[in-house]
Amino acid sequence: MSRPFKPSRIARRRLVSGVSWVLSGAAFLLVAVPLLDILYTVLKKGFSALSPTLFTEVTNGISGGLLNAITGTLVLVTGALVIAVPVGVLAGIHLSEFGRGAFGRAVRFLDDVLTGVPSIVLGYFSYVTLVIGVGWQFSVVAGSITLAMMVVPYIARFTEIAFSQVPNNLREAGYALGLREFTVITRIAMPLALPGILTGVLLAIAISLGETAPLIYTAGWSNFLWSGRLVHEPIGYLTYVIWSFINQPYRSAHALAFAAAFLVIVLVLLTNIAATWLLRRTRPARPAP
Amino acid sequence: MGGPGLLWHNPERRLAAPGWQQLPSFGDGLDSPMDSAQNGIKIKVRNLHFYYGKEAALHDISLDVATSMVTAFIGPSGCGKSTLLRTFNRMYELYPDQRAEGEVWLDDRNVLLPGEDLYRLRSRIGMVFQKPTPFPMSIHENVAFGIRLYERMPKAELDDRVEEALRQVALWDEVSGKLHQSGMSLSGGQQQRLCMARAVALKPEVLLLDEPASALDPISTLKIEELIYELKQNYTIVIVTHNMQQAARVSDYTAFMYLGRVVEFGDTNKIFTNPSMKQTEDYITGRYG
Repeated sequence: MSRPFKPSRIARRRLVSGVSWVLSGAAFLLVAVPLLDILYTVLKKGFSALSPTLFTEVTNGISGGLLNAITGTLVLVTGALVIAVPVGVLAGIHLSEFGRGAFGRAVRFLDDVLTGVPSIVLGYFSYVTLVIGVGWQFSVVAGSITLAMMVVPYIARFTEIAFSQVPNNLREAGYALGLREFTVITRIAMPLALPGILTGVLLAIAISLGETAPLIYTAGWSNFLWSGRLVHEPIGYLTYVIWSFINQPYRSAHALAFAAAFLVIVLVLLTNIAATWLLRRTRPARPAP
Repeated sequence: MGGPGLLWHNPERRLAAPGWQQLPSFGDGLDSPMDSAQNGIKIKVRNLHFYYGKEAALHDISLDVATSMVTAFIGPSGCGKSTLLRTFNRMYELYPDQRAEGEVWLDDRNVLLPGEDLYRLRSRIGMVFQKPTPFPMSIHENVAFGIRLYERMPKAELDDRVEEALRQVALWDEVSGKLHQSGMSLSGGQQQRLCMARAVALKPEVLLLDEPASALDPISTLKIEELIYELKQNYTIVIVTHNMQQAARVSDYTAFMYLGRVVEFGDTNKIFTNPSMKQTEDYITGRYG
């Protein structure tokens, strides 16, 4: 005969609860401490280079500012999104709404494979096909396409998940009203899936901001501001500064590298904050359970 | 008894129903139970079989739904009542492994024929589901959305139509001050009435209600039932419910279904006070189900 409130049982639950609290706290620290440490180190070492000239001057050898790299990164990321968002979102919608057959399974499988391909392999692939093969040389287009190839699977998968979480009875209600597939997807499912899609796009931005390897092979590097040419012109970007300048035996180069790292982290953080703010404003109320 | 599962049998009365002569020929032993009413027949189901993949869910169903009357389908879970309802507007078409065989006549059209325009069909047959399904848009837009699909009209007229629909479902007074808030912000009972408004706004001929009150509290349920009573003057209503009291309260005709067959179909009073089948009696007296 067991009583529900046996004292020993309560003591056991308290113990389990306490241990769980400690474990979750430890897990949190495990995640948070490295991040805080990185921020601290980067800020400390890059501090001497953090000056207004960083944003007003272009790189001059191993000193000067980072204006060319900052604008270059923004151009490359924007270019990647222009390509990857339509492709990824449409692919995700297709997988969720029509992807039950063999074709859907194949796309989903390839999507997973593409996620797992090391970025440097993608970079080299683009180098062979786009930079040399097509003859675009180091350029914005080659770099953006390579970044897009990297992030399309993420956007597609996030979109698919977001759409598949839209309650099916809402779709049925749309069809019962005589709506066509297009209307059901765009007017009923899309608003509810939007937060999930935006999360995927946000992740895509963060990945693109932080990638180095695919760009070394495709975008090259430039000390100058981007002139607007899509091909036959290399372009600078922040991660190159981190990757390359840290190996130079000069204090100014190191400071510039850490300043670039700091800027990348700040940009990722800002993207996160902007997306959170955006989501809070666009998120429609959820259906009552 | 004659046809499987159909137990009223009175050939003389057959001619009493208007429009009966236009019926396609069908097996003996089948007759309409609603001949005492002065109404015609809106939906005729003949020899309907339904399959989920290879599994048969409905066996040789034949019954008539009277115009401007409330017909209830009752029976234990899984007996096929919702499945039957969903053949009327071919909702099952959304799922590739679901298949109906037989005839479902809406007036003089067999809607199961391959050439049927589903969008038109669904504009003639409104449907309300078990869970409220407001769309992720404003209250006004939830109703206006469907109207705009089928008719073009000036904004003032559209607003009138929205108000008319919301008044019809007795929701206007509760929402008139907040038409531009999200439809999802309403309470469950209000959401369900909004869905009914959305359906009646298209001025359909038939309303299919799939357990419309089973997720609602008693007061909201009462409102929905009063609403059904009001709406039947203008619409032919078919309601699926596993609440027998509800069927007794709101319907004129009741079909008792069991294991994919119609066990008994007839006047609601008769089904509930003097059923001719032992199975029906056992179910309505709560001996199983």
